[in-house]
Amino acid sequence: MMDKVNVELTVNGEKYEVEVTAKERLLDTLRKQLKLTGTKEGCSVGECGACTVIVDDKAVNSCMVLTAQVDGSKIITVEGLESKRGLHPLQKAFIDNQAVQCGFCTPGMLMSALALLNENPDPSKEEIKTALEGNLCRCTGYQQIIDAVEAAAAEWGN
Amino acid sequence: MIDYQFIKANTAAEALKILADKNNVKIIAGGTDVLVELHKESRDLEMIDYLLDISGIEELKEIKIAEDKVEIGSLVTHSRLLKNKFFAENIPFLTAAAKDIGSTQIRNRGTVGGNVCNASPAADLFAPLLALESEVVLRSQKGKRNLKITDFIKGPYKTHIRNDELLEKVVFKIPAGEYYCNFQKIGRRKALNISRLCLAFLTVIEDGVIKKAHLVPGAATPYPTPFKKIDDYLEGKLLAEIDPAETGKMAADAMVEITGERWSTPYKRPALSKLAERALSCVKEEAGYDG
Repeated sequence: MMDKVNVELTVNGEKYEVEVTAKERLLDTLRKQLKLTGTKEGCSVGECGACTVIVDDKAVNSCMVLTAQVDGSKIITVEGLESKRGLHPLQKAFIDNQAVQCGFCTPGMLMSALALLNENPDPSKEEIKTALEGNLCRCTGYQQIIDAVEAAAAEWGN
Repeated sequence: MIDYQFIKANTAAEALKILADKNNVKIIAGGTDVLVELHKESRDLEMIDYLLDISGIEELKEIKIAEDKVEIGSLVTHSRLLKNKFFAENIPFLTAAAKDIGSTQIRNRGTVGGNVCNASPAADLFAPLLALESEVVLRSQKGKRNLKITDFIKGPYKTHIRNDELLEKVVFKIPAGEYYCNFQKIGRRKALNISRLCLAFLTVIEDGVIKKAHLVPGAATPYPTPFKKIDDYLEGKLLAEIDPAETGKMAADAMVEITGERWSTPYKRPALSKLAERALSCVKEEAGYDG
């Protein structure tokens, strides 16, 4: 019988106490236990970035982290972007720049972009590309996504 | 069936006690290798009874830079290595190697200790760490021991770490005087790139003469090995007179001497030759002998 672990997480500003198995990935806890299904499962081996979330200010693949490892951490998922004031500037910029096609990669892209802008509000195009290099998109061809992050960064500056 | 108990250690002492007291313990740090193994339901993980999480041990996260020596804690992430200004300015081939690992997400989790202990033939950090003649510091309840990183690697994905030991840090001396280093890599794509081949080169120069040379290819041999033959050939010669293309060919021959002719040799021979040539040309140019 698989060992259980009690874990406390702060997700999008809300505290949760969850019981997880020793094999449970953060991705599974977010999607199955907390019903935060905005975070997507793509490749499951850290190659596609669809499951990217922010753990203690860093973008990470939630398929590559055991929930038991991040006890006490602060996590941001795509659901944490929208507020009472409406869409987050990054979300608006993705819409305005047509950076979404099928949408499967979008939550991961948004999280990688958010982690970048939180750390570096005025990134160069190269820095944007580096921040997004772990996120695959099979539809748009990336240009619109990079444009969107640039636009959001400009908005951030204002 | 993979079934283990998860144990989190908050200090190195706690981790060492668990390693001493229990059998069939697997250590997890950033998890970028272990989680792939878990997903693949790797047979190796069926043997473990305990997964020991060391990712929260603060004392293993330090980078210490003294006048002549560097200590990198085993839990230093690739991102931190990459952002370290001292390395960028003084040991740029280490920064270059860290920069090419995985993606931002992988670099934020993956650790130096994990890269070294996993001992993948394609581990990017091995080449510069070998060129720097690094040592690993292994700690157990019985004490500490230092091993040259070349002696630490036993084979592909195998090291000489004992079951009761934890990799505490990787240490190396900062090269003295006039020195140059360079890192080259070829992969199938730019991002999330596992090396098909990489190469680190470090040389110390005195009055234009190569006093010390370390040429270390990665993913070229079953496990990273210094190419002593090339180092011996270079040492004592004038850097200005070294022919990068010729040295590159010698390096490729040295690789085939170790591996024999393999299915990948028709690709790897010219590719490694070119990588060594590029590294030497870059170093010559940097030293002002680009003519």
